[in-house]
Amino acid sequence: MKGFLSLIDNLGKAVLRNVEEAGKILLLFFSVLSWAVRPPLKFKNIMKQMEFVGVKSIFVVVLTGTFTGMVMALQGYHGFRMFSAESLVGSTVALGMTRELGPVLTSLMVTARAGSAMAAELGSMRVTEQIDALYVMAANPIQHLIVPRIIAGIAMVPILTVVSDFVGIAGGYFVGVHVLQINEGLFLKNITKLVTLNDIYNGLVKAACFGLILSLVGCYKGFNTRGGAEGVGRATTEAVVLASISILVADYFLTAIMF
Amino acid sequence: MPAISTEAKVGLFVLIGLVVLAYMSFRVGQPGFGLKRGYDVSAVFDNVSGLEKGSAVQMAGVEIGQVESIELKDGKAVVKLRIRPDVRLDRNVRAAIRTHGVLGDKYLEVMPGSLIPGEKSAYLKEGETIQYTERQADIDRLLSQVTLIADDIKNVTSSLSNTLGTPEGEESIRKILYNVRDFSENLNRVVARNDENFTEMVTNLKSASKEMERTFAALSQITDEVNQGKGTVGTLLKDKSVADNLNKTLAALNDISKKINEGRGTIGRLVNDEETVDNLNESLSGISRYINKAEQFRTFLSYRGEYLFDRSDAKNYLELRIQPKQDKFYLLGLVSDPKGRRQTIETTSNGVTTTTTEYNQDKLLFSAQIGKRFKDLVLRGGLFENYGGLGMDYYMLNDKLRLTFEAFDFGRGSNRQTHVKGYGEYRLIKHVYLSAGWDDPFNTSTSSPFVGFSIKFEDEDLKYLLTTSPIPR
Repeated sequence: MKGFLSLIDNLGKAVLRNVEEAGKILLLFFSVLSWAVRPPLKFKNIMKQMEFVGVKSIFVVVLTGTFTGMVMALQGYHGFRMFSAESLVGSTVALGMTRELGPVLTSLMVTARAGSAMAAELGSMRVTEQIDALYVMAANPIQHLIVPRIIAGIAMVPILTVVSDFVGIAGGYFVGVHVLQINEGLFLKNITKLVTLNDIYNGLVKAACFGLILSLVGCYKGFNTRGGAEGVGRATTEAVVLASISILVADYFLTAIMF
Repeated sequence: MPAISTEAKVGLFVLIGLVVLAYMSFRVGQPGFGLKRGYDVSAVFDNVSGLEKGSAVQMAGVEIGQVESIELKDGKAVVKLRIRPDVRLDRNVRAAIRTHGVLGDKYLEVMPGSLIPGEKSAYLKEGETIQYTERQADIDRLLSQVTLIADDIKNVTSSLSNTLGTPEGEESIRKILYNVRDFSENLNRVVARNDENFTEMVTNLKSASKEMERTFAALSQITDEVNQGKGTVGTLLKDKSVADNLNKTLAALNDISKKINEGRGTIGRLVNDEETVDNLNESLSGISRYINKAEQFRTFLSYRGEYLFDRSDAKNYLELRIQPKQDKFYLLGLVSDPKGRRQTIETTSNGVTTTTTEYNQDKLLFSAQIGKRFKDLVLRGGLFENYGGLGMDYYMLNDKLRLTFEAFDFGRGSNRQTHVKGYGEYRLIKHVYLSAGWDDPFNTSTSSPFVGFSIKFEDEDLKYLLTTSPIPR
């Protein structure tokens, strides 16, 4: 009986903790919104974060995008060959990249690279009481530290997604036309025929949302770090896990709304 | 090399991203490019299944627009098309829904219509409707037809298997095969047996050619002799007098033909006289007229029996109708009246003339009339049952019904009135007629209603018997 009660107890605690965390993230989001529109905007900080989130992620994103596109072409080819529709491989790769894989894989990569770094950075600033020092200097840490990171996330992830889409399709083209010997004209024609502008734009909207999620979660976890070096490590891990899960869940709902 | 600033890196990165995005948008968005300024026309279809918003509109395989919307109106699909502004559609274009690609994508094909000559070609304007649309080829309907065909084929094959698959069928096939084998064996034998004959034939031919050689040698000798003027033929050809005779003969012939040409002598006149040609022409046209007449000439035979109710007896008619032209005929008939032929005998004794009427039942009555037809009305005149009279027929219902009125025997004795007969005759089926009417209503002793039945048919044999006699002019 006691064990059962404690089970209920733990369940309730877990739910409360999660709901509380969600609420705190949402509150952080609102304060970020209010601080984002309040001048002065820390332009230098924003640029620095953009370079870190965007420019320095290009290599990883190009690599994942290219290989994803290539592998999709290879897999799609075996499927479509069964009913002699090999020329549809191109459009499959293009649709898959622009709608789903481009935004999701890019934001997952950025989460792993930049989201974790955000959590670690802010976490160590928290545990070394630099954030408290900012308060003392009458500078709002949200305005100085979090707003630039979130703006960078929202702005850079879509652009990375564009790059990812492009190199993914290019990889698919390379494998399809030069390795699998699919007719080049049909391959390209089916891409331009079946992919619409909305596919690309909706993918970019998704990417912007994912950019928000990953930077917000990273900043929240780092900002609320407790317990020294160990706490920084835990915060980093939690940030990556929570952001990845949130991105995948959000992807489902966004897809349901958009397409 | 100076270090690239953070701003420059970010700016370059964003620029690259935007360029790539613009490139992709341009490639993907091409079909819709420029369509914003296009114009809308609509087309009404019975069935647009498979066609979707955004489907291509093609003309001669070139994309000229997109399906803007599909709406349901009065149970039909109204498809609104957006056409590129630089494409002008003729007013009489036709629209059809077609399929292409492995996935059976539907698209709308616009085909140029045939321009009606003289009509000024006009172009469809914004909001107008394409007048001619084609029905979509329905796969289901096609499949059901194919199923029917397959059933038919199955019937054929099953009947084949019934005939060939049975033991009897196998037996007969085996027999056929045996026959073929026997035949080829026989053929083989014939060839083998005649082998010697063939050899003989070839040797004969060889010896014949030798004979020919000898014959030719003899011939050449003969011609040599003729050349030298030896023998009969030789003298004939080499003698000068023969040539002179021949010359004279030819001159005479020449003379004769000149005479003929000039119209002298019998043959000359015959050949050169215009009259000969006219006569010939006339006789030819006479022959052709005769043939025409013979074609027009028709003969009909008919029998009619009438039952007279009040006299409880029957009257029979046998008639031959000769019709040289469509509107003219001669009628010859034999009538057997149960009363017989009437004879009036006047005897004068003591200054008193008594008239007695007698009937001879063995004697037949005769009819002989001429008739002419004016459209639906036929007028007849001549002998009616031995007496002079007039008749009139009126044809109705495409000659199926005939109304007849006859009046004859005007000069009867003082106690008798004119014999009048009126009846209608209806063609029941081909050759068979039914009639009803009233015979002789004004004479109480012979008056009676009647019904009759008759058979009529055209007699070709009689026609030829009649037409092979003298030529009618």
